[in-house]
Amino acid sequence: MDNEIWGEILLKDGQTRYFTVGDLHLWLRFRDEEVWIAHGYKDELKGKIKAENPPPKVEWSRWADKSVSSDIRIQPIFPDLPLVVNSEYSLKISPNTQIRIFSRIPIWVRISLANNDYQLIEMPTVKLSRTWFGTPIEGELCYYATTKARRDLSKADKKSYVVTCPILVTNKSTEELNFERFCFRVERLSIYEQNGYFWADETRIIYHGADLNSDVIMTGNLPAGIEKKQLLTPPRKQIKKSLATRTFKRLFEDTQIFGR
Amino acid sequence: MGLFQHFISEISSYFADGTFKLILKVALIIIVTIPVLLLLRGWARRFFTKKYAPHYGMLAGKLIFYSGLVILIITVMGQLGISLAPLLGAAGIVGIALGFASQTSVSNIISGLFLIAEQPFKVDDIITINNTTGVVLSIDILSVKLRTFDNQFVRIPNEMIIKTEVTNVTRFPIRRFNAQISVAYKEDIGRVRELLMDVAEKNQYSLSEPEPLIIFDAFGASSIDLLFLVWAPSKEYILLKNTIQEEVKAKFDEEGIEIPFPHVSLYSGSASKPIAVEMIGKDHKKAGDEEA
Repeated sequence: MDNEIWGEILLKDGQTRYFTVGDLHLWLRFRDEEVWIAHGYKDELKGKIKAENPPPKVEWSRWADKSVSSDIRIQPIFPDLPLVVNSEYSLKISPNTQIRIFSRIPIWVRISLANNDYQLIEMPTVKLSRTWFGTPIEGELCYYATTKARRDLSKADKKSYVVTCPILVTNKSTEELNFERFCFRVERLSIYEQNGYFWADETRIIYHGADLNSDVIMTGNLPAGIEKKQLLTPPRKQIKKSLATRTFKRLFEDTQIFGR
Repeated sequence: MGLFQHFISEISSYFADGTFKLILKVALIIIVTIPVLLLLRGWARRFFTKKYAPHYGMLAGKLIFYSGLVILIITVMGQLGISLAPLLGAAGIVGIALGFASQTSVSNIISGLFLIAEQPFKVDDIITINNTTGVVLSIDILSVKLRTFDNQFVRIPNEMIIKTEVTNVTRFPIRRFNAQISVAYKEDIGRVRELLMDVAEKNQYSLSEPEPLIIFDAFGASSIDLLFLVWAPSKEYILLKNTIQEEVKAKFDEEGIEIPFPHVSLYSGSASKPIAVEMIGKDHKKAGDEEA
């Protein structure tokens, strides 16, 4: 098994490389001028997993490119959908209060050709279930994640397959903010690497009240000790630095009332 | 020779009085205008489809094409010296006659206008009308065209759609699947609930929110009937339906939860006492004796 998954990897003809990160098991091969990729997850793969070959249940996918390159790049990247992040323990923020919490999000793996950056595949390191954020009439599809919403990371286990996201929450309303769950739009965040662990730039959420949209600002501020040169992956979307959007409100009451 | 000269003089007079020029002019108008109209129709379709929806693209394309066609006909008639006034007068009389003869068509046209204004569905939506379910191919002046999932073409008159209940399956982005689950009376319902929630959580198409719901529906004749309500994106509804029921069956088999079939228990007087059996006849034989 290879330990260092991130970065550029030169595949030798006929040789198989095997990586594991989070629940993901990944096999890479260069054969007949094609890149071969196979992957599976811990709960799907039964029995002893061999580095030379994936289990028969796991199928290879093949890519042929005019560059005929065996040099590939593996990058960590944020999930391809926003996340509805649930706080493990309900956190209530009183009016006119500002707090900083840390939320850890499982990363995805992006595999591309190193010479022309042609993207081959993206896959999560941990399979997340999907959820709906909004009303039954309109909303958006998100992944569902749970967070401890930590204030201090010193006691947290170090995990190589999560990215730590600092979030500054400001309650500017006159009511209490129940920070039970929120929609975290990660597509505008970058990933930085320090000592084998991943960090994101800061997100600021300003809550104005239950019936108003919250301001979500990608401040670009980096966590202490992280510098711009440690940037590993730019954001998926580089459109806006801020947006006013529904972040806390969900409306599913009628799905309970009209059970039938 | 005289015949040839006569032919030449005829042709010359044709050119001289301008009839040929007129025909050429009309032909030129038609030859230029129709391709332009087709181009405009294509552009309008693409533009409105891209900016709004295929439904609007189709409507805009038709509006431009038919408006252009009417203008073309009026222009050609003007060139040919045909006055519109007597035609319009005649159209009034013919219109009354046609109106009586084509009530159904007119009703369909008016219903079509209501459909366009009300927009209960759009092109590419999946709808159910009576017992027909299919993808909307087009919403036209007289009818709506559907493609059913077994690849049949269905034409439904607009008038019928206005009068009938229409279900738009894909109007909203998420949809709920209602599974009816029956378990034996001996089973622990709390345990069954846990197992069903576990199945929903692990199913790749089900959504975590709106949360799956389990409703104790009824004490059935042979089973306790539960409703297992799970949400999925509308596009993945059929995948959810197909997988989750299989997964429930597999989970119940794995955990020894009985899915009962309809059965009847017979008691004679009291459930605690066995049914008394009386043997009739002196020379009764065991079953199968004669065959042996």
